[in-house]
Amino acid sequence: MKKITIEHLARLEGNGGVTATIDGNVVTDVKFLVNEGPRLVERLTLGKTPEEDVNLVPRICAICTLSHKYAAIRAMEKALKVNVGPKVKLIRELMHLGEMVESHALHVFYLALPDYVGFPNAIAMASKFPFEVKIALEMKQYGNHIMKTVSGRYIHGENPVIGGFGKFPSRDELVWIKNRAIQFMPFVLKTVKLFAELPYPDVPESETLYACCHPPDKKYGIVGDEIILSNGDIIDVQDYKNLTNEFIVPHSFCKRSQYKGKPYSVGALARVNCLGERFEGEARKMYKKYFNARWTKNPLFNNAAQALELVYAFERIPGVVDEAVKLPDEPLVLYSQKDGKGAGAVEAPRGTLFHAYEVTKGLVSHTDIITPTAQNAEDIERYCYITAQKLLESGQEEKIKDRMDLVIRSFDPCISCSVHTVQVKRAPEEDWKTKIAALKTDVSPVIIGIGSPGHSDDAVGLELARRLRGQGVKEVWIEDEALEKSGAREADERRPLLFLDAVDFGERPGKITIMPLQHAAWNAVLSHRLLPLVTSQISFDQLKNSYILGIQPASLEDGEQISEPVRLAMEQILEQLKN
Amino acid sequence: MPDNKLKIGIYELTGCAGDALLIIDCEEELVNIFKAANIEAFLMAKSDNNDEVELDVALVEGSVSTEKELEELRKIRKRSKALIAIGICAGLGGMQSYFLDDKDWAKNLKAVYGGVEMIHAKALPSKPIGDFVKVDYFLPGCPIGKEQFLSTFARLLAGNPPELFRFPVCVECKWHENDCLLNKNILCLGPLTAAGCGSVCVNHNLPCVGCWGPSEEANRTAEYKLLLEKGYDPALIKNKMANFSGTSITQFFARLKGETK
Repeated sequence: MKKITIEHLARLEGNGGVTATIDGNVVTDVKFLVNEGPRLVERLTLGKTPEEDVNLVPRICAICTLSHKYAAIRAMEKALKVNVGPKVKLIRELMHLGEMVESHALHVFYLALPDYVGFPNAIAMASKFPFEVKIALEMKQYGNHIMKTVSGRYIHGENPVIGGFGKFPSRDELVWIKNRAIQFMPFVLKTVKLFAELPYPDVPESETLYACCHPPDKKYGIVGDEIILSNGDIIDVQDYKNLTNEFIVPHSFCKRSQYKGKPYSVGALARVNCLGERFEGEARKMYKKYFNARWTKNPLFNNAAQALELVYAFERIPGVVDEAVKLPDEPLVLYSQKDGKGAGAVEAPRGTLFHAYEVTKGLVSHTDIITPTAQNAEDIERYCYITAQKLLESGQEEKIKDRMDLVIRSFDPCISCSVHTVQVKRAPEEDWKTKIAALKTDVSPVIIGIGSPGHSDDAVGLELARRLRGQGVKEVWIEDEALEKSGAREADERRPLLFLDAVDFGERPGKITIMPLQHAAWNAVLSHRLLPLVTSQISFDQLKNSYILGIQPASLEDGEQISEPVRLAMEQILEQLKN
Repeated sequence: MPDNKLKIGIYELTGCAGDALLIIDCEEELVNIFKAANIEAFLMAKSDNNDEVELDVALVEGSVSTEKELEELRKIRKRSKALIAIGICAGLGGMQSYFLDDKDWAKNLKAVYGGVEMIHAKALPSKPIGDFVKVDYFLPGCPIGKEQFLSTFARLLAGNPPELFRFPVCVECKWHENDCLLNKNILCLGPLTAAGCGSVCVNHNLPCVGCWGPSEEANRTAEYKLLLEKGYDPALIKNKMANFSGTSITQFFARLKGETK
């Protein structure tokens, strides 16, 4: 068994890594790891005032600082029944757009582009791409300038508060911002061309579900009181848990999200997929020109989507300024409400960010923060798996490491932002024995032997199940029974399943491997027999805890004989599985 | 090719990455920063990082909150002539050091992550890096400031130690001709907080939240008593003082406890 490890993912905000474990020609494990230590941010806000919370939570992440502030303010204003005026809303939108410009410009040019043009970093890239590096710097600087003008500082500005702003930016400052946005437009359009036309490889293409805030009035936008999904579902932000459904995966200790049992993606690509038809002006033209089916299934197009959103931002900023300068500065909205409950969502540059609070007697009594990277973690792992598996199948093993790096970076993950994440280190080289031992310590798994009789080694799963039964092991099913007796299993649908099957993973005959059952849902080679069982019978919890124990067959030809190496493997498995 | 440029490494432990980002935010100067010194390691900015080379200066952001980070920090210290803590997480432990009592921390860790046993790596209560290795200098701030960083960087190039403000935010506030918010009975932490931010909150009509950490000259007891006189709740005052002070607030709380007995 060999492992490909990217220990430190460079050019990300924060500190993370990924591990893919390979056995023969199958990927048996992919883990997206976050090496950041726990900060217990949700806990340390308890007992604080809503204002202190709004001071503290932006420190979750320096790059999404204003998104955190904005989401926290939206949630608190909902909880405390604070209604702000139109100018406050416009200036908040401006700061939010500034953050998006800053973050997207940094990501597309500095963090993503070097991979596609073969440089280790943006500074080194300057010799060959002086224009791109310079424009990137100016765009990022401009985004920063907006953030500083509105929030008071480049990072962790405190000017946005519950009820409005300590101080509004002046008319002159706003007009400067507007004029500069107009000057940028020709370069922003070039940016879209550059990133929409990059040669994105088609591994890892795979359909997914996208989610983002649903802005009002049929406009494109980056806040909303509802969430929209690419399948058309709409969810009220107050019911955000119906989308995020957080759960803990036993192997990574990082809270994850899934919607109706499936991973989903958030971020610029999700927004363009859900709301792209709402673009106006130049953004609409560019969308019409470049958007195609590959954008709906290839996460690498997130770079192109971010470039498209830069056009949106640069077109929207002058409009925001025009509206804002007509309005008088609004005094801070004071409130007397001491108790309440509310959730707020904004689109951080890298995806939907939720803050939810309960305030009791003027102090925070419950905090829940769900970040974009926590929501994307499942899809990041899934796309990494697809990448590794497909490249392995086509004999391009040497490309796996760099390609996975590209995939992860395309999600623009903000790892310091993963508030729920505990440090995890690379998985130890667990072989099938240790994994089975671990499975058995919890609750004994339900064992299901599958295969086809009369095809030599393909019958090994069935044969194993029969012999286990013969030795008095309880709860062993044979393929057809498993389908029939599904009703009997409903009572304990959280119990792990262990499928026994012949799996051709290109190794020496009789070699045993173990992999998460979830891989069957992602991999056609594994799923031919398993998928009907997996999709029709198994709950999400069960899927996450279940495994396939695979034995490399020597032959799948017609015949009644099980080969010698596979027989030896059977003996080992019997030894391990009997009580 | 060997040269005599300063070898600098920039490292991130647990935090928001804001101090590293602030360095990237020195947009116009960034190219010159990379030219003037050999930036041997800077994970946020480059992928060709050298983690073996002996360094003249290591800049470390973030607090220590896992055993792995502690190991990493010790290695960095070993191969660096000078080590500078950048930001209040590295220097004081940051907001994540709020649970000063380790048992309290463990209880809260369990509340977040449930009964999940952490078999992969051991989490530690967040602590400033100075609790484990010698720290030569500390740039305060949440995040650090651009002017402060650039002047420090320039002084390092010239072989000089950083020179920092020793006075509190109030001095900068006076430079900006702001009215004192404490005089208006608003809970402002300016008198306790290290200067360097340019009194940015008060310039925006908002009270100082103390994010640069405590000033050397701070008289916490006096401010505490003053705020009590103004009718503020003791728990609120203590929280506000603790939010950005990390473990450095421990002594003050102990003293306060002694006095109120």
